[in-house]
Amino acid sequence: MMIDSILLVDDEDLFHLVFEDACSLLDISLSLRSMNSSDEAAKLFKEWSVGDKSQRPECVFVDLNIIGSSFDGIELIRKINFEYGNHVVIGIISSSNEPEEQSKALQAGAQFWIIKSDDIEPRLEEFKKDYQGYKNRTNPFKVYR
Amino acid sequence: MIKLDSNTKKQLIDLYETKKIGLEGNITKMIEADGDTELLQYLENCINRDKENRKKRLEVTRQVQTQNSELQKLNDENQRIMSELQQTLKEVEESKMTYEVQNRELNEWKQDNLRLTEELKTEMVKSEQARLEAEKAKTSAETDLDLLQKKKQFELINTIVKIALFVIIGVGLTTTALYLTAMFTDKDTQIIGSTWSNMFGILLTNAFSIVGTIMGVKYASEKKD
Repeated sequence: MMIDSILLVDDEDLFHLVFEDACSLLDISLSLRSMNSSDEAAKLFKEWSVGDKSQRPECVFVDLNIIGSSFDGIELIRKINFEYGNHVVIGIISSSNEPEEQSKALQAGAQFWIIKSDDIEPRLEEFKKDYQGYKNRTNPFKVYR
Repeated sequence: MIKLDSNTKKQLIDLYETKKIGLEGNITKMIEADGDTELLQYLENCINRDKENRKKRLEVTRQVQTQNSELQKLNDENQRIMSELQQTLKEVEESKMTYEVQNRELNEWKQDNLRLTEELKTEMVKSEQARLEAEKAKTSAETDLDLLQKKKQFELINTIVKIALFVIIGVGLTTTALYLTAMFTDKDTQIIGSTWSNMFGILLTNAFSIVGTIMGVKYASEKKD
């Protein structure tokens, strides 16, 4: 199944291109929005929480360390989940593979952790297969290595 | 989904066939072909073309990412080296400052040492002069003492000689006066005459003995000097 809309929050512009191309090639989603700042993303979610919820993306991918932002990806997930309402599939996409960070992300409400690498497509393809479980909130937290 | 009218479809297909310009991106997935094989073929061509382009772009982007990652690593390494270099430079600068301080202190010590050496030399010269003056004074004192001793000796000898001469002359005169008195008063002169001659001989002997003693003492004193 295709994801209706995706939001990517990552400070690396090049990864925006990689992610967009990978999503297009894998037919993951037709609608993709990318941002560089967790502050900007938090601001949008705050607006959506009180305003037009139809604009809210269905799935959010957040980088762990977002350079130039006030807070990191885990804190953004915590805000989205516990401050602005838990209505999206959300997880981390990062080159880090630290179990301690993954544990923190899980506590913040992340549903998945995708490890960035040169070859991201196989992980996104696997994620696409599991997506329905995340949407239904039946899948446990999973790390895509 | 979007449905295209026949005119738009024809224009899009003509554009693709003549100039190889087709729809790109996800819009191609949003067009409803409605069983139109010609449009289906067109959309398939556009999607395939788009996929090829995306694959190429993905490959290039990956290469750029890899290069960026390597550049970042190199930059990190460069910064680490720069940091180490700066630390080393800082240490060298500190060492230099320490060395300069030590050098300054050593120079000060050297200056003090030179000054002390000069003072020591001056003091040594003064000391040498003082020693020479002391030796000179000692020599002078010794000479004075010797002269004084000689003078005393000479005075003593002179006194002894005078007393001896007075005694000799006195005894001689007394004996002679007694002898003359005895002669002119017609008294017996046998005893006094022999006594006078004995006395005179003894006095002469003693006088020569005194002169000899004095000469001997004088000779001994000169040899001692």
